[in-house]
Amino acid sequence: MAALLPLFLPLLAPPTAGDPPREPAETVLRVLVHERWFAGWKYLQATAREFEAAHPGVRVEVLSSAGATGGAEKVKLVLAGGLPLDVTWIDVTEFAAWLREDVLLDLQPFFDADPTWRREDYFEPILQGMTGPDGNLYGLPSTFTPYVIYVNQTILRRAGVAPPRPDWTWDDLLAKCRATTRDLDGDGAPDQFGISLTQWMQALAPWIWQNGGRFLDENGRCALDEPEAVEAVEFLIRLLHEEKVASDDATFQNQLATGLFQAGRTAFYGPVGFWETYRFQHIPTEAEGGFDWDVVPLPRRRQAATSVALRFYVVPKVSRHPQLAYEFVRALAGDTMQRGLAAIGNGVPGLKRAAFSSAFLDPERPPASEQVFLDVLPTARFLPVTVDWTEIEKATQAVLEEAILLGRIPAREACERAAAIADRALARTEDLQRRPFVGAGWFSAAQLAGGLAVLALAAALLGRRRPRLARREARAAWLFLAPWAIGLGAFLLGPALVSALLSLSEWSPIQDLGRARWMGLDQYRRLLADGTFHDSLRVTFGYAALAVPLQLLTALGLALAANGAFRGAGALRTIFYLPTVISPVILGALWRQLLEPWLKDPATVLPAFVVMGLWTTGAQMLVFLAGLQAVDPRLHEAARVDGAGPLRRLWHVTLPALGPVVLLNLVVGLLNAFQLFAQPFVMTQGGPGNASRFLALYLYEQGFRFLRMGYASTLAWVLFGAVFVLTLAVLRGSRRFVHYAGAGR
Amino acid sequence: MRRWANRLLLVALAAAFLYPLAWMLSASLQPEGAALGRPPFYLPDGLHFENYPVAAARMGRIHRLVWNTTLLTAACILGQLLCCSLAGYAFARLRFAGRDALFLLVLATMMLPPQVLAIPQFLLFRRLGLVDTFWPLILPTVLGGAPFFIFLFRQYFLSIPQELVEAARVDGCRAWGVYWRIMLPLARPVIGTVAIFTFLATWNDFWAPLIYLNSEENQTLALALASFNQSYRVAVEWLMAGTSMVLAPCLLVYFLFQKVFLRGVRLSGAKG
Repeated sequence: MAALLPLFLPLLAPPTAGDPPREPAETVLRVLVHERWFAGWKYLQATAREFEAAHPGVRVEVLSSAGATGGAEKVKLVLAGGLPLDVTWIDVTEFAAWLREDVLLDLQPFFDADPTWRREDYFEPILQGMTGPDGNLYGLPSTFTPYVIYVNQTILRRAGVAPPRPDWTWDDLLAKCRATTRDLDGDGAPDQFGISLTQWMQALAPWIWQNGGRFLDENGRCALDEPEAVEAVEFLIRLLHEEKVASDDATFQNQLATGLFQAGRTAFYGPVGFWETYRFQHIPTEAEGGFDWDVVPLPRRRQAATSVALRFYVVPKVSRHPQLAYEFVRALAGDTMQRGLAAIGNGVPGLKRAAFSSAFLDPERPPASEQVFLDVLPTARFLPVTVDWTEIEKATQAVLEEAILLGRIPAREACERAAAIADRALARTEDLQRRPFVGAGWFSAAQLAGGLAVLALAAALLGRRRPRLARREARAAWLFLAPWAIGLGAFLLGPALVSALLSLSEWSPIQDLGRARWMGLDQYRRLLADGTFHDSLRVTFGYAALAVPLQLLTALGLALAANGAFRGAGALRTIFYLPTVISPVILGALWRQLLEPWLKDPATVLPAFVVMGLWTTGAQMLVFLAGLQAVDPRLHEAARVDGAGPLRRLWHVTLPALGPVVLLNLVVGLLNAFQLFAQPFVMTQGGPGNASRFLALYLYEQGFRFLRMGYASTLAWVLFGAVFVLTLAVLRGSRRFVHYAGAGR
Repeated sequence: MRRWANRLLLVALAAAFLYPLAWMLSASLQPEGAALGRPPFYLPDGLHFENYPVAAARMGRIHRLVWNTTLLTAACILGQLLCCSLAGYAFARLRFAGRDALFLLVLATMMLPPQVLAIPQFLLFRRLGLVDTFWPLILPTVLGGAPFFIFLFRQYFLSIPQELVEAARVDGCRAWGVYWRIMLPLARPVIGTVAIFTFLATWNDFWAPLIYLNSEENQTLALALASFNQSYRVAVEWLMAGTSMVLAPCLLVYFLFQKVFLRGVRLSGAKG
């Protein structure tokens, strides 16, 4: 047993965060920015080599981020792992959270000390996006895009509608939409729309600003319930549900899957950014049998305004070479990289001379009016950085979608509820700062307690008085069990205790564990008032209630179909199992295309996931097959002799014999249903509203998006509790139905 | 007549289950940028096989990726087989105090959601200085991470006749000898099953490598694949070409070993 000790010993040692055993002779700058497949990768490499040539003794190590399925999380995990990182990039929507956690290096002193720094080389409105509340600059831009409207010029021409002027208004938009909405196939429902309306926070904000609205009032309260904001939401509801000239297909989660604009079935599309030109570049022109398209500024009301999607390069505070890191940020925002990004059509370069070059304003490449992306810049705005809007966006998404997407509640009610939710989140953030620290030692103690508990258990069971032979057998047994026991202590029990402690605290994973704050049972009390949590409970239980029995039936059906000894039975088994082999991330991409209309509607999104789940019952089918092959053929023979048909034999012979197998599959099915994560993560991100916000997805968002690892742990324990209680109930209930034929000793 | 109807039904079912794969292959042969926004039944304009070398090149140093993934998978398979069979044997054939309660504990650990454990495990490996190595991907899976496999081994070992064990005892075998000489050789079907399950899970695993592996030289295939999925521009054709390549070994392994697969799943532990 003493052999187990070394595994827990390192925990007793003081933390040695990030001290590498030996310092290499050269200085290594670790950079995590773009993805490797990304077309601009070669420019990134070129920039790194140039930098090395200019700084002898420095090596730039470029890491690859992991794409949208984990890109933003990847940077956080590198930081959470205490690994050295010198330069990275963040999205403007994440800026507030990073400021709140105080993990970004203020670059202003470096700019001030740098004689080669010329602020006017960059677009001033864009620099505002990476300026903290202190007025200091925290980074330099990669590429950005203001939100604009894409126009199908062919539809406008055919309808005899004048193309929008740069200063067009909401009324112009409404008029043009009315004139272009058509019912082409005469089924009474429009199939060509005026506008395909995007609805995430960055896309929603311009309407509110154009109407003179704002997001925070002078007291730092959420101002979404002010009349200007309410009116803006009312206008969108009017377009969608009263005038019925807008299509709602372009919510954030399915914007890639939908192709209303690409299919030539909407006159306008937006507000949306430059990234869509990549998708639309393959659209054939009107002369080639397709349609002509271009971009225009957003329509205005009391004033013109637009929002900006933006990524910028930053230096985390953990960087051990801040001066070099700063210089590399300058290099990334310099000519080689910025012209390269412009050439591949990645977005608008933040460096003015790159943006004004032919690399960006390419007359050969659609859209013709690329200039628009620069023209609207003076009207560009950002959400206030004092508040983490990604968290508020998620929390208010359901309410706003209820109003805008679904038209079920009036704008005023939605805005008031959204403002109240936002204010609660703001108050919580403030309250957190007043909480005491937990102390990192307690987490180590919890981990250690897990290991010690297993040791104590083993010792207690071994120490009982027994005859010598039995003692010897017990000792042998524990040696056999040792690997599992070590794992139980170190990787299951210990972490479970740490997680339990975390669920009573609040901690951001990119911070040191010493900064965790004690919340006590307030975390669990918060569950009572958390509407999103209630929705996710409903969703998870609803899904399980539908999916578990249906999957069980499907798996049984497939197993029966493939159980015969006929030719091709083996091939059938392989085929039925195939979808299980494909990673859920990839399957999600496929299903998103197939089930797209279902995924938009809150009433059908859960059934869509249920249907999808039927494809991946391969493992359960295998278990059934194994069970079927163990059914004694003599029983079937006897039943046949008694004149029982195939159905009766199934009911009276096969199923009773399968009892334990059904039970096993039921329990495994329950576990899988309650832990469903990858599919909603890839396909819907929880929408529409909260209609597919599964518990596992919600807790992931809390932990990694909003950096609330404490509350995420609280949710995880609720999940565990639900699964535990249900499994016990199933096992108890099954005693009456399941008979173990010849169950061992 | 009815036989034909049955056949037809089976063929239709098979087609439905083959569809995702067919779509994947079709998408992997589309010209650049064309696979998005197209109806799901779309046939490619010409066969763009060049997507495959392009995808391989964009994934990085492919030899390194294949080597890393193979190494990791092999380590997990060997570790799982050893640890799970040892535990399964103890639960099936050795008598000791608290055995049945402990076995229940094994099954109960299945219920701990991975989300509960992920972060504390990450903190543990960070403290041990093992982030950005393969250990965090191997140790928790191998040690204690596979209750279902322990269950499979236990059930299988329960079904092996006691006479064999007695005979080995007479020949002087102790617990280890019985396990190594009698039990393991007889358990080939379970070994195959556990090996294939582990192979599929490790080969395709994305989250654990995402969390733990950072350096260029430690990347795995699944991780490299994921980088195709960029925020606004999903390079579907490359993603699918890459996926097809990464998936091919899985299909091959499954197809070759599917017979073993079935015999290994034995659920009622009747002893002859």
